Order: sequence, then structure tokens, then C-alpha cells
Amino acid sequence: MEHDHHKDKTNENKTINKNNTVPFAEDNFTHNIKQLQERKLDRRGFMKTLVGAAGVFAVSTLPWGALAMRELSRDGEKQYAEKEIVKLDDVKVGEAVQFTYPSEHHTALLIRTGEQDVVAYQNACTHLLCPVFWDKGKEKLVCPCHHGFFDVTTGQPTAGPPQRPLPQITLTVKQGTVYATGVKRYET
Amino acid sequence: MTKSVLYLELDNCIGCRSCLAACTQCGGHDEKYRNYVVDVNPLVDTQTMPLMCLHCVNPACARSCPAQAIQIHETGAVLSARVEKCIGCQNCTIACPYGIPKFDVEQNLMYKCDLCIERTQHDIPPMCASVCPTNTLQWLTKEQLAMKKEQNVLDNGKWIASSDHYLENETNVHISLPGILQKKQKLF
Ligand code: FES
Repeated sequence: MEHDHHKDKTNENKTINKNNTVPFAEDNFTHNIKQLQERKLDRRGFMKTLVGAAGVFAVSTLPWGALAMRELSRDGEKQYAEKEIVKLDDVKVGEAVQFTYPSEHHTALLIRTGEQDVVAYQNACTHLLCPVFWDKGKEKLVCPCHHGFFDVTTGQPTAGPPQRPLPQITLTVKQGTVYATGVKRYET
Repeated sequence: MTKSVLYLELDNCIGCRSCLAACTQCGGHDEKYRNYVVDVNPLVDTQTMPLMCLHCVNPACARSCPAQAIQIHETGAVLSARVEKCIGCQNCTIACPYGIPKFDVEQNLMYKCDLCIERTQHDIPPMCASVCPTNTLQWLTKEQLAMKKEQNVLDNGKWIASSDHYLENETNVHISLPGILQKKQKLF
């Protein structure tokens, strides 16, 4: 039975009119010969699009470069408004207070390290922006997220993932009141 | 599909070669002709016949092209190789059963009859058909073609000119089989 069935099938195939069906209906993208079905994006078109897009992206980075140039070529520091932080007497030696500078979105810490010594840093960690706090016992600025440590006198990272120092805020003390006057620019 | 088709009545040909001259004048043909007039029985008699691209429905030239440079127009005309795609491999010149595609060695480019596509897509007869003095090449509407077929039915019930018996598969250009009108008196 099995054998007969096979035989029938081959006979059937012989009678099919192969005109216009040989080799096969090429209704596909890679062997299309119909002008109407021409691919909009062929191999060369694709490569051109690729190169063109790369060019567009390259050119579109230029404005950012110009902005950075302008920022870097500016000689002096940026102008910051002076802001009153706290009365010196309200902070005990070895204590810290939190404030915001220059805008209310930039949290900062002021630490009184000695009778006349105060330092202040923006306290967003330079690793992944976790808030850094002042550890009185260790006398270090500590980031709890990944155990980053910063030196309190310079703001330089001493341990952990952070690579850059905390941005230091310049201070002046006038008649027992501490004022923030600016943010030091990060120098590599 | 255009309203009209090209129809060849081969035994009308007197060998004047007007069609070749007309072909050179078609726009984009670069003053080269793309069809042939051949002697049917060289040195025996003077019968000639035009040898044109028949614009196969399943064109061997286009199928053989590795770069898909030969495309089928929406009207069914098989176009000449696209300049930007043709790689000059000459596969088509071998594949075509009628030897229609010609090769331009200087330009490394194949060229073949495109049925004067700028004319025929607007239902204007191709250059060759518009100049043929003996109606060997005719530009017929579908109705006229049907009438021709009717005339050419032979009483043996088998040979029907320009019907389903094609030389090689189905073509968009229709031809009468040579000699089919024998014994019929013809008035041009
Ligand atoms: S965010 Fe501060 S150490 Fe990772």
C-alpha cells in the first residue's frame, strides 16, 4: 500500500504543468525582479543610511562640544550669590549642619572642624549621587551606599568607589556668621 | 498591463530593417538597435523575420541575473538592465532562448529591448511597430488580438497561432507561427 501511494504521487507530479512555475515563484526580497516590488531600502541604501546617520550623530554632538569649550575657557569662577548659612556659635566643633547651595536642589554639608575652621561640600556622592553624611567618630565624610569615604579637609575620596572629590563650597565668616560664596570647579 | 500588446506576423517581413532604424531613435537607446532581422533560410530564399524580445512572463534573463538588474515593469515589459545594478556578467545573454540581450563591452552593461517603455506604458506603440511598413509588427488592442487568433485557428484543432502554444513559456508579445497563414491570401 505504502509503495503504491508513493507511485501515485510521482505520477501526479509529472502531469503538473511546469510552465511559469519553474524554477519557483520568486516572491521574495532577495530575488525580486518586479520593478514595482523593488525594495525601498536595498543593501546600498542601507549602508548609505548607516553612514549618513553616523554623520548626523557626529555633527549633532558639536553644540555640546561648543558648550563645554565655553565653560572651560571661562577664566574666573562662575558667579554665585552669597548665601547665609548659619551662625558659627550654633555649630559645635566636630558637628555638621545641612544646607542647600547654590540652589535648593543641591544639598550640602557644613562641618566645623576646629574653633575657626569650617568646610563645606555639596554632599551628593561623586559615585552615584547618594547623600554623603558626616561621621563624627571616624572624622570622615561617609557615603552609605557603597562605602565611599571622603577626606574632610580636602573632599578627596579616600576609599570606596568614588573617584572624584566632593565639590567644595567656599566660605567666608563675617561677624560670627558663615556665608557660602561659591562652588569650586572640579579640576582633573 | 497596457491596453494593447505587440503582435508579430512573422511572414509579413520584407527585410527592410526599418524597425532597427526606428529602434536606434528611441529615447535612452543610445543610438543602438536592440532587435534583429534575420534570414530564415539564408542563401535559399529571401524570407526574413524580425527577432524581437518577446517579454516573457517568466523571463529567463531576469531570473538568471545575479544582481536583479533586469526588472519586470508593471505593464509586463522586461526592462533593460539598470545601469547601477548591472555587473556585466553576461548571464542573461546565455540564458535567453532567443539571444536577445546584447552586451556593451565599453560600458560593461547589458542592453535589451525594453518595449520602448516610455511610450508603451502610455499605450503609444513602440518605435518598431510604429514604422513597420508591412504590418509585421503590430500594436493591437486585446480585442484585435482576439480577432487575429480567431482567424488563425487551423482546422486540425491543434495549431493555433499566437494562443497558448508559445515557443518558450508565456510571453507578453504575441507572434503568429511562421507559415500558419499559408494558402491564405493576404492583403496588406
Ligand atoms: S554612591 Fe556613594 S559610594 Fe556609591
